[in-house]
Amino acid sequence: MNATDDDLPPADPAESLRLIAQERAATERRLTPDSRLLLWPWGLAWLIGFGAYFLRFGPGGHVYVDMPDFLPLAVLLGLITLAGIVTGVVGARARRQISGPTSRQGAMYGITWSVAFLGMAVLFSRISDLLPVPEANLLWAGAMVALTGALHMAGGALWNDRILYALGVWISVVNVVGIIIGPGWHALIVAVFGGGGMLVAGLVSWLRMPR
Amino acid sequence: MTGGPPELDPVIHAQARLRVVSALSTLREGDRIAFPRLQDILQMTAGNLSVHLRKLEDAGYVEVAKTHQGRTPTTLISLTRRGRLAFEDYTAALHALLNGTAKLQEES
Repeated sequence: MNATDDDLPPADPAESLRLIAQERAATERRLTPDSRLLLWPWGLAWLIGFGAYFLRFGPGGHVYVDMPDFLPLAVLLGLITLAGIVTGVVGARARRQISGPTSRQGAMYGITWSVAFLGMAVLFSRISDLLPVPEANLLWAGAMVALTGALHMAGGALWNDRILYALGVWISVVNVVGIIIGPGWHALIVAVFGGGGMLVAGLVSWLRMPR
Repeated sequence: MTGGPPELDPVIHAQARLRVVSALSTLREGDRIAFPRLQDILQMTAGNLSVHLRKLEDAGYVEVAKTHQGRTPTTLISLTRRGRLAFEDYTAALHALLNGTAKLQEES
C-alpha cells in the first residue's frame, strides 16, 4: 500500500498543535449538545407560561387579561412538555453512537428530572385543592422552580459546568425572592428573571463552546 | 534529557492518525464511539479510516471492539490508556520542541 498524503507528518510542531486543537474543538462541538437548543425552549416556556399566569392570576387576584382559568396551566404544561422533548432529542442526537459512562450519566440525569417532578405532582395534586387559588398556584410554581434550580445545580456539579450551576443558583434565588413578595408577583418574577436567565445561560454556554 | 530534540512518536506523527487520536482524546475514559460516527466527524473514507485505525490498534493505542447492538453489528472505537499516554507525551514533545526553537531564536 502506498503512503498517502495524510500519512505524512505535519509540517512543524506548531502545525501539529494547531491540528490537535482544531480537531479536538471540532469533535467536542459535534459531541456536545447545542446549549441554545437545551435551554432556550425552557426559557421560552417559562417566559410565556408564567407570563400567562401573571396576566390571569395577578397580585391581589387582579386579572390583567381575561382568559379561561385553565389556560395558563395548559400553556405552561404544553410548552414544558415540548421543551422536554426538544432537550431529549437534542441530547440523544449529540451523543448518538457513543456508549459508555457519559451516556449513562446523561440518561440517569434525565430520568432524575422526570421522577422528581412526578413525585412532586402526585403529592401536590392531593393537597393543593385545600388551598385558596393564589396560594395553590404559588405552591405549585414555587416548588417547580425550586426543584428546577436544584436540579440545574446538580447538573452543574455532575457535568462540572459552572454556567449551569450558576443558572441553578440564580433560579433558586429568584424563586425565593418571588415567594417572599407573594402570589402573582412570583409568576412575573419567575417568568422574566427565571426564563430570561435560561435564555442568557444558553447563549453564554454556546458562546463559550470551543471553536 | 540528553539535549537532543525530543523524538516524536511516528505512529501519531502523521496527519490522519493525529486527527484520529485527537478526536478520540476528547472522549472520556470508558466512552466508545461507533465507526460511522467517527468517520462522519473526521470526514474520512471508511477505507482510509480503517487503515489508520489498524496501525493505531497494532501499536496498542486504540481499541477496536466488534459488538452487536440488537441485530446490527457495530464497531466501537476508543483510545486505550497507552494511547492516551502516547498522545500526552506527543503533545508534551511538541511543546518542548516549540520552546526549544523559541530559546534558540532568543539566543541568536
